[in-house]
Amino acid sequence: MGYLSAFDCCVLWHLYLPLIILIMNLRRYNIYFNTHTISGIIICAILYVIFFAGSFSFFKNEINAWQKNESDKGGTYRNLVFDHLLDSINQVKELKGRDIAFYMQHNGHASYVNIGASQDTIVANRAKLMAAQKTKGITKDSEAKGEKKKKRGRGRRGADDSMYFSYDLATKKPSDYGDGYTMGEFLYRLHFLAPLNQIGINIGRPFGYTLAGLVSFIFLFALISGLMLHWDKIKSNFFVFRPENKWKTVWTDMHTALGVIGFPYQFMYALTGIVLIVNSVLIIPFSKYLYDGKENEVYAALGYNDNTKYTYLYEPLSTTFKMGDFLDKLESKWPNSHMNRIFIKNYGDRSMHVVALYDANIDKNFAGSGRIIYRVADNKILFEKSAADNGTYLDYVKGFIYRLHLADFGGYPIKIIYFVLGIMGCFVIISGILIWLVARDKNNIPKRKRIFNFWAANVFMAACLTMFPVTAVAFIAVKLATKVDQPFIFHVYFYSWLALSVFYIIRRNIGKTNRETLFLGSVLALAVPIVNGIKTGNWIWVSYRSGANDILLVDLLWLSLGIIGLLIFRKMLQSARKENDSAKQVTANEANGDIKKASPPKRTFVLKSNPTTEV
Amino acid sequence: MPANKKYLSSPFQRFLKITAGFFGGYFVMLYLHLCLTKLFDKTDILITAYVTGFIAWGILLLAAFLSKNGWLIWGIYLLLIAVFYGIFIYL
Repeated sequence: MGYLSAFDCCVLWHLYLPLIILIMNLRRYNIYFNTHTISGIIICAILYVIFFAGSFSFFKNEINAWQKNESDKGGTYRNLVFDHLLDSINQVKELKGRDIAFYMQHNGHASYVNIGASQDTIVANRAKLMAAQKTKGITKDSEAKGEKKKKRGRGRRGADDSMYFSYDLATKKPSDYGDGYTMGEFLYRLHFLAPLNQIGINIGRPFGYTLAGLVSFIFLFALISGLMLHWDKIKSNFFVFRPENKWKTVWTDMHTALGVIGFPYQFMYALTGIVLIVNSVLIIPFSKYLYDGKENEVYAALGYNDNTKYTYLYEPLSTTFKMGDFLDKLESKWPNSHMNRIFIKNYGDRSMHVVALYDANIDKNFAGSGRIIYRVADNKILFEKSAADNGTYLDYVKGFIYRLHLADFGGYPIKIIYFVLGIMGCFVIISGILIWLVARDKNNIPKRKRIFNFWAANVFMAACLTMFPVTAVAFIAVKLATKVDQPFIFHVYFYSWLALSVFYIIRRNIGKTNRETLFLGSVLALAVPIVNGIKTGNWIWVSYRSGANDILLVDLLWLSLGIIGLLIFRKMLQSARKENDSAKQVTANEANGDIKKASPPKRTFVLKSNPTTEV
Repeated sequence: MPANKKYLSSPFQRFLKITAGFFGGYFVMLYLHLCLTKLFDKTDILITAYVTGFIAWGILLLAAFLSKNGWLIWGIYLLLIAVFYGIFIYL
């Protein structure tokens, strides 16, 4: 047994080094591959729902306008409205000593209004007494009616003395949440799985939000592992698309090409999505360690709220406060910015303060935020920072997260690009499921596993692909119905979704699911603008001429979805026919040979009879 | 072609790696960022963690899968947690 010299070792090492690296990379490659596949297949169906509903939520306001047939021409109002509003509330509810908050909505002329309980014990007690009497009355009433009233929607309930409602400053109309429910709101809330909060799974936090957060985290993980997986081939495979090959390569190329092109977008969405839905995984520990467990303080530090409490002095305010004048002055001082939130503290007391949070207009400054704190009693500004000043680091990061996620920084062009990229994300998910299935449909995989794989893919595809026709149906239904509220939209959407999914699950033919949902969805999509035209008279050309751009946009969106869908459908039919022909030829040519071996390229995966999967 | 089984770990090892990556990775990320509050403004670190925290958590989860042994990665993450926690609390 001879010993290796140092030289031999060196040579051997140099010989083996590339091999070792290769082995390491192979190992890593397979790990990336496996983690990417598994994490992807776990979340695919929910992620599809998030992407599909989320893409439509870019047009939430437009869909609302479309459904109500009231084009939102960006209603204007004068700040005087706030004084009228406060006066009229004061007549029903004594405002003395209360905290009042206005949260401006995105359209710029409506606000959520929150009126808290009074700090003034006399007012508070009087209000409590009144509330108690009222609830007694209500409970008597509801007992008589057989307790029909159910909790639904969001907003605050119970016998406490606060109030929460939405108020349109331009039309001066208040509105209750549940009755003003629209498809826009529905799809918006579906995209972070809010309806799942109500199904009664109790985990101590809203179930739907938690699930959405978990899915976005796994999505982020799948994106990172997917990027690592394709890293070496990104350049060489960037322009690879082999549509003439067999289905497996078509799905693979589609998944990779769209996945790589859309990667930055999807990565941004995974990240901002987690932040917006489950930032509590950071807020809670940070508040515990750094803010004495006060989550409110963290939110205040991040500039979402102002929770400063001012001691109540029980001395009535000697000066009068006109909110309209205050805002007018503020807006002349801060041009190029708009109101975000206003907090009035201790209304009518000598300790009354007004805190106003303003945002810079997006075309001037991506991330500016202004704040002013004003003491009414001696007309003194305690703190002032204009939104036009250079934003702090906090403003910038927050601004980026919100602007990028909400796509509200560039008007319709940006929203349309975002919408296309979002739908592209849906294609990435669908092709991913199909790769997963096709790659596992091999003879060396046990039959039991292949049956399970087909079952899973079948369920996922049925649930995902039926969303297109179901959404179109819901849009038609809300136009035809006389009264639309939350239960109506829930029933139409979820029952038709359930029925259609069950139908395709039982049918067990992914090819047909694919083609038929596409056809059905496209036809229904074309019907959306037509139904709207017949029902309201707002045909596409009418809304174009009248300048109702938001209504026009929704109609055009559905029109183009329908046309593109039908074009793809025609293409699919052609290729399916071509294949059937070639399959017939092959079987005729080799009628006496081993047919299975010589089967044509697998383009029609489940369409053709496949013994294991069709059983 | 699914990933080659040769390179994947046994179910128990996989369990160790998933728990190490998900829970261990979370606390490593958290205490790392808490440590940084010693140097920078705490609110700035919190808002930074919105971006870097979740990415770091994802990478730590993937790193756990790449490790050869689930016990080893649990050990490494526990050590990192102890170090960062120590710095955060006692420094």
